[in-house]
Amino acid sequence: MSPSLFNFIDAKDKFTVRNRKNTEKKTTLDQALRGVLGDQIQKTSCDDYLSLIYLSIDAVTEGICSATTPFVLLGDVLDCLPLDQCDKIFSFVEENVSTWKSNSFYTAGKNYLLRMCNDLLRRLSKSQNTVFCGRIQLFLARLFPLSEKSGLNLQSQFNLDNITVFNKNEQESTLGQKHTEEKEDGMEVEEGEMGEDDSNFTFSSIPIDYNLYRKFWTLQDYFRNPVQCYEKFSWMTFLKYSDETLAVFKSYKLDDMQASKRKLEELRASGGEHVYFAKFLTSEKLMDLQLSDSNFRRHILLQYLILFQYLKGQVKFKSSSCVLNDDQTVWIEETTKLVYQLLREIPPDGDKFATMVEHILNTEDNWNGWKNEGCPSFVKERYSYDKPKRPTRKRQAPEDFLGKGPDRKIFMGNDELTRLWNLNQDNMEACKSDSREFMPSLDEFFAEAIEQADPANMVEDEYKVVRNPNYGWRALRLLSRRSPHFFQPTNQKFKSLADYLDSMVSKLAKELPDIPSEEIKTGEEDDDDNGDNLLKDSNDSPSMQSKMVTNNQMDEIAAKLGAEWKALASHLEMKAAELREIETDSEDVDMQAKLLLVAWQDREGAQATVDSLVNALNAAGFSQIADSLNEA
Amino acid sequence: VEAAVGHGSKLDVCVLQLLHMSVFSQSFSPCGRYLAAGNNYGEIALFSLSAALSPDATVQSQKPVLTFTAHEGPVFTLISSDCHLLSAGNGEISAWSWTELIKKVTVSLNTQQPGKQHDLIIPEINAMIINPRDNSLVVGGGDNNVHILDLEHGVFKSVLQGHSDYIHCVSVREREADILSGSEDGAVRIWDSRMDQSVHCIEVYKYESCARPQYGKWISCVTTDSDWMLCGGGPSLSLWHLRSLSPTSIFPLTGCQRQAAFHQDMILAVGDGPFVSHCLLGGEVKAQIPCTPQSLNTLQLNTNSTEHRVLTAGGSSDHIEVFTNLSYRAFSLSF
Repeated sequence: MSPSLFNFIDAKDKFTVRNRKNTEKKTTLDQALRGVLGDQIQKTSCDDYLSLIYLSIDAVTEGICSATTPFVLLGDVLDCLPLDQCDKIFSFVEENVSTWKSNSFYTAGKNYLLRMCNDLLRRLSKSQNTVFCGRIQLFLARLFPLSEKSGLNLQSQFNLDNITVFNKNEQESTLGQKHTEEKEDGMEVEEGEMGEDDSNFTFSSIPIDYNLYRKFWTLQDYFRNPVQCYEKFSWMTFLKYSDETLAVFKSYKLDDMQASKRKLEELRASGGEHVYFAKFLTSEKLMDLQLSDSNFRRHILLQYLILFQYLKGQVKFKSSSCVLNDDQTVWIEETTKLVYQLLREIPPDGDKFATMVEHILNTEDNWNGWKNEGCPSFVKERYSYDKPKRPTRKRQAPEDFLGKGPDRKIFMGNDELTRLWNLNQDNMEACKSDSREFMPSLDEFFAEAIEQADPANMVEDEYKVVRNPNYGWRALRLLSRRSPHFFQPTNQKFKSLADYLDSMVSKLAKELPDIPSEEIKTGEEDDDDNGDNLLKDSNDSPSMQSKMVTNNQMDEIAAKLGAEWKALASHLEMKAAELREIETDSEDVDMQAKLLLVAWQDREGAQATVDSLVNALNAAGFSQIADSLNEA
Repeated sequence: VEAAVGHGSKLDVCVLQLLHMSVFSQSFSPCGRYLAAGNNYGEIALFSLSAALSPDATVQSQKPVLTFTAHEGPVFTLISSDCHLLSAGNGEISAWSWTELIKKVTVSLNTQQPGKQHDLIIPEINAMIINPRDNSLVVGGGDNNVHILDLEHGVFKSVLQGHSDYIHCVSVREREADILSGSEDGAVRIWDSRMDQSVHCIEVYKYESCARPQYGKWISCVTTDSDWMLCGGGPSLSLWHLRSLSPTSIFPLTGCQRQAAFHQDMILAVGDGPFVSHCLLGGEVKAQIPCTPQSLNTLQLNTNSTEHRVLTAGGSSDHIEVFTNLSYRAFSLSF
């Protein structure tokens, strides 16, 4: 911007000092600015116009000029200048896009800007001023928000005016000597057309495949107006022509990689600009060349893909009669695959191109969907902070948890745990409960064996349950827990477990009162008798042998034992842990002794006979107590 | 084929005839506007290329403008001189004037028979070629010999003997005035036309790189470009350097090739298979352009006219494929 010779601040002060309404003052300034610009046009340079416009922008910011003025000025300038100078002005417009987007300018100016840009676009040629057109489009894209509807093709309309003209009959053929009047008639073939009216230039004519030529260019009409495809007759024609054209593409493979690579390098080396054709060149003489050109093929194949996307897609503004039937859908599917395959085969970088195209078409689907929904805005809304709070649930009081509630249940948070916890909290105690006592009593377990041992029953040896090793093992375990016979030393040598068990069974049969059994003769009777005799010796009355120790007896023994109960403990096979427990349970030695006896009785159960106690007492050296017990 | 008008049985016969038709030979007129094609029924059909290639061609334009029976047996070979069309098949060589033919006058000018006139067995003629140096016609056929007919005087000049089996194809080397012949016996013989002697004999099937014993040893096509020679048939189509008499490239084409031609820097070949193969001199197959007939017998490029410079191919069908652009089949002419 040129240095300001104009003292803006002073001017502004003077301006605002006058006693008039602001709006009137504004319009005055607007008109003044416009007038100055009008005078300056054609007399001074671009820079001066630009500085005037800058001035107007500042004026708007200061509030002394109406917001539309800069835009009006811009419009005036662009209308009056030739295209090459418009370029410069437009650069100015582009640079200040942030200004145009700011609040004070946007609403006032956007329509002006839009109109201005459209006027410019109309003036420019798409093929010669491609870059400028692009810049204008980009500017518009930056200026307007994403959901600005004026930029959208809301109703999905087609540019029906884009007609591709080609030689339909011989009169229009360029093979003959026809001249300029043909051109004016509407052959919109642009530059690049071979000079057929240049008689000096001779070139050999080549045979032309008119059949393909006509069918090929007829296809362009379908691309121009896809709605035709929904009509049966036009569809059949389209199908036929497409099949032929694609068959040609298929058989005519472009695989001249060498040539195309060289061409590309030449292009890059020469720095030539990429030429952009807005319309197809449709001369029949070019057909062969066009067929061998990769870019041309890509154009046509891409047109097919776009057409198919439209035909298949859901577009809000399509009439309800525009629906594909099954055959059409199938054909479109197959042809799409063929088209992609052909795209991939086109050098160079066919694969990349095909993937890119697929990706772009997928994006288009999204845009289509967005349009169908009525172009919702992309701006995410913020959450409002004054949402009503959800009422929180009242939590259960802790007492309910810990079993102090009305149910007296302790809630563990899980039904199963709660059930288990409430059965019994202490695992050890639960294990000790009676219901977990799985060890059978001797009479229960051995009842069967004893019955089998009875010779009257005449059970054969091999069927005796004692022969079952499983039974035998369990029998041993049970005997070790419940029967003193297990621990009696014996000189007998048992050949097998079964034999041993037989002897045990016979001993038990004698002891267990429930099971009626006659005297069972065993070969080991001598030993048993010895054992029995030993017992008998220590016992005056045999009836005393199987008597249980009573409480009174235990009290007496305890009193006599006193502090020496520990000596007896080892003979009663009490564990150290149990002894410790007894010691902690009571301070009184008598009590401790009592506890010892009680523990022993508990453990032995049915085996807590006077007999065994007497044995233990004798072994411990308390023979007197043993005697007294016997007497009692 | 007579135009099928009226009776159902006649129509069926015509349709059957069309179904079983094979095109064995083709030749372009000196002006380049007409194509003559010979089939297995002994007929020659004349097609107007200018009509078929014009912008307003119809289906009728793809039909012959003239069809006539030239021989009793199949027309195996056709060749055009400056103003005559020469046809041969079952032992006779007939000459037709192009101008007369265009006027649809089908009277043969001359008929010749190579070899002894009074032989009971008249051998067929498989190939003919014109030697422009001395305006003679080189004829190869079923009697294992190459006959040379002087076109000026219309008499047979000489007989080249050497092959042990019938001759499939002949070609001339223009610069050196050599004649090449390929035969069923698997040999390609190079004859010096001045001396009437066999100069070289290449037994292609003896070269391991070319040999394909599963197909046999017969040579069905020979064509030359003075320094180079293409030959193929039972053995693979191969490119030979004639000075060193060694194969330079072998073309990996399946099936037997029945005709091959040099075109710019490419080789075109037809044979078994419904396509025209384009090969590069190095030995790779660049493209195979699909056609309608299941196999092709003859391939011709119209060098007599630039406007009608098309490639035509005919084979085991009543259709003759026309290529305006070598890379795809444009349309078909049909008998």
